[in-house]
Amino acid sequence: MSNTTIQTTDFIDNFAGLADQRLADESVGWLKTLRQASLSRFQEAGIPTVKDEEWKYTNITALTKQKFQLNTAGELKERAEFADYCATDKIRVTFLNGRFSPELSELTDIPAGLTVLTLDKAVQSHGDQIKELISRYDTAKASSFAALNTALTDNGVYIEAAANTHVEDYVHIVHVTSASNGEALSLPRTLIIGRPSCEFTVLESHICFDQEITYFTNALTDIYLAANGILHYTKTQHESLKAYHINNTRVWQERDSHFDSISVMTGSALNRNNLDIILNGEGIDSTLNGLYVNYGSQHIDNHTSVDHRFPNCTSNQLYKGILNESARAVFNGKIFVKDIAQQTNSYQLNKNLLLGTACRVDTKPQLEIFADDVRCTHGATIGQLEEDELFYLQTRGIGRHAARSMLARGFVDDLLNHVQNDEINRKMHSLIEPAFAHLT
Amino acid sequence: MNKAVEDKLLNERTIEENALSSRDYKYGWYTDIETDRLEPGLTEKTIHQICDIKKEPDWLREWRLKAYRHWSQMKEPHWPNFNYGPIDYQALSYWTAPKGTKEGPKSLDEVDPELLKTFEKLGIPLSEQKRLSGVAVDAVFDSVSVGTTHQSELEKVGVIFCSISEAIEHHPELVKKYMGSVVPYTDNFFAAMNSAVFSDGSFCFIPKGVRCPMELSTYFRINSAGTGQFERTLIIAEDSSYVSYLEGCTAPSRDENQLHAAVVELIALDNAEIKYSTVQNWYSGDKDGKGGVYNFVTKRGKCAGFKSKISWTQVEAGSAITWKYPSVILQGDKSVGEFYSVALTNHRMQADTGTKMIHIGKNTTSTIVSKGISTDESNNTYRGLVKVLPSADNARNFSQCDSMLVGNKCAANTFPYIEINNNSATMEHEASTSKINAEQLFYLQSRGLDLEASISLIINGFCKEVFKELPLEFAVEAVKLLEMKLEGSVG
Repeated sequence: MSNTTIQTTDFIDNFAGLADQRLADESVGWLKTLRQASLSRFQEAGIPTVKDEEWKYTNITALTKQKFQLNTAGELKERAEFADYCATDKIRVTFLNGRFSPELSELTDIPAGLTVLTLDKAVQSHGDQIKELISRYDTAKASSFAALNTALTDNGVYIEAAANTHVEDYVHIVHVTSASNGEALSLPRTLIIGRPSCEFTVLESHICFDQEITYFTNALTDIYLAANGILHYTKTQHESLKAYHINNTRVWQERDSHFDSISVMTGSALNRNNLDIILNGEGIDSTLNGLYVNYGSQHIDNHTSVDHRFPNCTSNQLYKGILNESARAVFNGKIFVKDIAQQTNSYQLNKNLLLGTACRVDTKPQLEIFADDVRCTHGATIGQLEEDELFYLQTRGIGRHAARSMLARGFVDDLLNHVQNDEINRKMHSLIEPAFAHLT
Repeated sequence: MNKAVEDKLLNERTIEENALSSRDYKYGWYTDIETDRLEPGLTEKTIHQICDIKKEPDWLREWRLKAYRHWSQMKEPHWPNFNYGPIDYQALSYWTAPKGTKEGPKSLDEVDPELLKTFEKLGIPLSEQKRLSGVAVDAVFDSVSVGTTHQSELEKVGVIFCSISEAIEHHPELVKKYMGSVVPYTDNFFAAMNSAVFSDGSFCFIPKGVRCPMELSTYFRINSAGTGQFERTLIIAEDSSYVSYLEGCTAPSRDENQLHAAVVELIALDNAEIKYSTVQNWYSGDKDGKGGVYNFVTKRGKCAGFKSKISWTQVEAGSAITWKYPSVILQGDKSVGEFYSVALTNHRMQADTGTKMIHIGKNTTSTIVSKGISTDESNNTYRGLVKVLPSADNARNFSQCDSMLVGNKCAANTFPYIEINNNSATMEHEASTSKINAEQLFYLQSRGLDLEASISLIINGFCKEVFKELPLEFAVEAVKLLEMKLEGSVG
């Protein structure tokens, strides 16, 4: 017991050391204060253990035993794969090992009404907007890892769609990691703002083409959608099989806005995602979909929270997963409905397909409802492929293995088909392919 | 409950109907009866005193002391969704009994007529001539069992049905073997406390191959002020036996909070079946949340044998606070666990209830059906766990938790935990929260039913799946109880 305490302290001190450096370098006043507050919050909150209800099923001891470094220099070794994955991007911001890479980015052709800036530039030119966005959240209540990101990050992207703009092309944010001289720590910070009546599409990819390297990605994304705004947001996570990936995404929606998201998770040894949505107005529509296809000893943990604060809103959640070999999945979805949020429609479903012999699922969909005129449902299913369906396909001359793969694909396709953009669809399919090779 | 009594109650209610709009608690009166009681406080001395009063064997004294020592190291849990002031465990009296019952139950003729009257008023006649034909009753008043009916008839088929104190005296080998085997004294704060100070409760033993010829039931009544009830129930069903057990509870309306911390253990061996039904109607406090019983209960059954079955059915309509998770450990292959629950909360009641289904054996199945209704400013929470261990091949679970909200000051929460460690498991969980459908209400009203009758009909429909699991007499009782509680809360 005392042993782990010491290790955790080391882990926190390691980051605190890095943060002190960062603080010394910080020249913008308000940002310095924010970093200072976040560092204190991180030290106060500490590293969560399985005794915390929120981390009951996810043990991060392995992560806390590692020592990570900031600013590891790196060269992208897998250029061909990268080019293939990013082939048709028109707007792209790339971060290599956590650092902005102008060479791999594509920022020459940005349509009118859209702003895409790296964080350091945005702090200078859009400081007020950033401050306004961040001030919606109380630093003193942030989760440890969100606080850690704020304390340390210096690389990120700022995207803003002006009022009444409609952007045809998607903006691709790529966080790519390649082998470097140490175990890298990257702290991606993404800020996305949609002004009234805009419509745009963002794809955020966390990828790595080398399955053998160990690193830690601790990402924080803030999304603000003003009245009538529409955002199609896709996140893909295909980190190395030895990587740790922790992500906090906070979404704030105003009246009549529409947030449509999907998260595809195929990589990393340990992945924890927190997705918190605040519906701060009437007539909001929010979709949170998720797909995980895992194998080996991967551990994937999704926590979502939808906070209905006003009447007449709809939220939809569908999380689906396929687990092979000894992969483990955790799902916790919370729906809160405040007493004034009458006429709320809220749906939540978590479906798991257990194919591996030693896989494990812990799911906890929860509702906390204080209004009476609502329709809220949640559900969870855990099962295997139907023997009858397999038999049917086999009688049609399809081999058992092919039949299993066919049915498993069918299981995920209805989710993927939600994504309208063909190019994003192609990327998602290319990422889940390796996991399907492990179907047993 | 027999026909005559049932009719009597029915008639009483029709006369009182108008007066009932304030939703009075029917069992709020108390019996003025002389009592023996221990000084308030809980120390090792208290335990020795309880043992001395009950003339208990040394092994039990040791066990109680161990439990007490463990309890004194524990902290009161605060994870449930509750708000309540601190409980002063030293201010309670841990043993209260009507005068003269110290010696344990004697023959019914010797029981104080005042006590018999009390139970009669509650609709539980104990005296010989009025005995119900189909139900054997063990009546527990504060800390003691005052009488058990039909014992001789049950003895003929080998069924032992008596108070736990009698069982400790006459069947120590059975009690020693099974007590604490399902809920060890280390289990949780309230179970540890109960193990240390438990006073009375019921004991049932159904021998091999016997189908218990009548329903067994226990009626719990807290009467005295400043006391708690800590009963312990143990039911053992041997191979291929069957028993249906009912439990009812009431308490007087008092301004202070009373504590009820019980432990119920069920053991079902090969092919045995236990059906356990509860209608819990402790005093729930007035509409400002003053008074009421704190109901902290640990109920757990173990399907120890092949193809054994345990079924819990509960109607939770009382208590200021309900903290109760009747669970089933599905250890035997092909064993079956069931949980059917209706929890109704009004005024400022707080209920955090649900179940745990632990699948250990192969081909085990479990079903959970939970219906929650919250009104006024109450808080109703379903919290459940379905756990499939790696050994439980082909485990199957179906869970359904529906909540209904009446008014917008109440809350309904659902916290289902689903932990699956075996890939051959199939489980489904679904939950919904909604209000009474306005169209249905309109339809019924257009057919000439008044608002209250329409609501009551809809609520009955909502809870039907659970009510049909209750034995007939209880189902009738439960429907009435719900109607009474809901009266005046809607519309």
